[in-house]
Amino acid sequence: MLKMTHLAKVYRTEVVETYALRDLSLNVREGEFVAVTGPSGSGKTTFLNVAGLLETPTGGQYHLDGEDVSKLGDDARSRIRNEKIGFIFQAFNLIPDLNVFDNIDVPLRYRRMNGAERKKRIGEALERVGLSARARHYPAELSGGQQQRVAIARALAGTPRLLLADEPTGNLDTQMARGVMELLEGIHRDGATIVMVTHDPELAVRAQRNVHIIDGQVVDLTEEPRFHGVHAEARQASA
Amino acid sequence: MHFGPILSAMRRNKVGAFLIALQMALTLAILCNALFIIRQRVVMMARPSGVDEANTFSLSNQWVGSPEQIGAMIRGDLAALRGMPGVVDAYATNAYPLRGGGWSEGIGLAPNQKHSSAHTARYFTDDHALNALGAHLIAGRNFTADEIRERSERDKAQPGVMIVTKAVGEKLFPDGSALGKTVYVEDQPIVIVGIVDMLKTPWVSNAWAEKFVENSMLDPYIFISKQYSYIVRAQPGQLDAVMQAAQKKLFEVNRNRVIEKVRSYAQIRADAYRNDRALAIILGTVSAALLAVTAFGIVGLTSFWVTQRRRQIGVRRALGATRRAILAYFQTENSIIAGVGALLGMALAVGLNLWMVQALEMQRLDLLYVLCGAVAVMLLGQFAVLWPALRAASTPPALATRAS
Repeated sequence: MLKMTHLAKVYRTEVVETYALRDLSLNVREGEFVAVTGPSGSGKTTFLNVAGLLETPTGGQYHLDGEDVSKLGDDARSRIRNEKIGFIFQAFNLIPDLNVFDNIDVPLRYRRMNGAERKKRIGEALERVGLSARARHYPAELSGGQQQRVAIARALAGTPRLLLADEPTGNLDTQMARGVMELLEGIHRDGATIVMVTHDPELAVRAQRNVHIIDGQVVDLTEEPRFHGVHAEARQASA
Repeated sequence: MHFGPILSAMRRNKVGAFLIALQMALTLAILCNALFIIRQRVVMMARPSGVDEANTFSLSNQWVGSPEQIGAMIRGDLAALRGMPGVVDAYATNAYPLRGGGWSEGIGLAPNQKHSSAHTARYFTDDHALNALGAHLIAGRNFTADEIRERSERDKAQPGVMIVTKAVGEKLFPDGSALGKTVYVEDQPIVIVGIVDMLKTPWVSNAWAEKFVENSMLDPYIFISKQYSYIVRAQPGQLDAVMQAAQKKLFEVNRNRVIEKVRSYAQIRADAYRNDRALAIILGTVSAALLAVTAFGIVGLTSFWVTQRRRQIGVRRALGATRRAILAYFQTENSIIAGVGALLGMALAVGLNLWMVQALEMQRLDLLYVLCGAVAVMLLGQFAVLWPALRAASTPPALATRAS
């Protein structure tokens, strides 16, 4: 699903070069739930930005869903972000002037999907996150946990191939964080590929696999993946 | 196009959008009426006078002292002027087209008529006047030399014959030709012996005289006055030389005079329409300033919105919006605001014009100006929003993952 080979990201100014990622190689298989951890400034966010095609790598290769996306133009990267990647941000990043329905509608409109299809998908996504009754509410009228659920619904509505979560519980209290994590685990059980950046070890252990980044390099990989729910049972049965 | 979400977002930021729409509406209302007035003035300033303006000039003559043989002196001057190299013809007169001041007269169709049938400018001329002015006789004949009489300001005698402009003929006799007809000036009968195509009145920039600006009558008189004007027509290309030589020539004939206001017709025209030109320039400048202020307002508010929504734009980019989509978002938003402003402005423009029609006797505003003004304001909006919208479109999608 996601294959990075000798990936590098260098920020250059007139006087200094900063290596945010260096010689990073990583393979995420379809259906995996991977947690990316590391201290502040280690390159986690840069990794997420490159993985989500929000930034372009300065070296190496990046294949997403079998397609080399390392050197795509801006429009092509926008299209892939829209069609194949779902984002869940730490700060939720809902548009305050739009209600819940319209917020979830934003990426679907950029896909030029017809109205009936959009409405159907938004309804399903809201139902999935348990917020069907809040469709006409504005973000300011929701709790943090509810806002993050809307953000998850927005990511799910586009049926992405890859879900990228950036500290999805970072702005939530423990109870809300637990709810959001359970929701993500449920989504993973349904077959989604999830890459989650977090600095919280407790959250990281709930993923199948941990990837640790220090100074822009992958330094530690949990070789034995953990499985959840039906996937775990299926794996154990086949073993 | 994302009209629904854009409208929804605007509903939550009503004040800024409404103020810009209102500014655009006021701009449109003022712009339409200003352009309409400017257009009227430009058309008015371009109207032909009926004179061969490129080759003709006027010269104001004032005798010193109290000369008794003014008629003879004028004839002497005219003979000298007509004999000059480069001169086509010349005549003496009390007034001439576009002069700014002159005599007006009422013409009746019967003696003792209570109200005149046509109001006209009155020019004292001779048998050389039509040639000196370059006026086109379209019916009848010119004056003959023996029809020319002398007349002072105080004389009440009327000539037996006169030449009128086509406009006067049509006003007096709308159902037939005026040629050969007898009309009355101060209850004295006068026969119309000639009709010229056009000669404007001296008052071309005057609301009172605008109603009869094409109406002129020519009398076969030499104007006996201490002060009068010569009209001289030069050969093509000789105007400047003749203007200088004519003054010298007249002083050679008689030094007891003051010659002032030697003006080419280009100068006469410029003087006649000075106020109109100034008004057009002022209105044009104010309109341009208004457009600039409105454009700056749009740029300012949109720039503010772009800065305010920078993170939101980054999120949209992260969710799949292309740069073109962000550009289109702001252009659509501006189109909606400008559309509301244009509709409001069109109503205001018509309302303002109706008020001016009643209060200032202005003409009704051509609706084409309102439509063109609306299109101009919409285009202005699109132009003004372009820079901030391009700035918005360049927002990197990675902004979505940065801490707020």
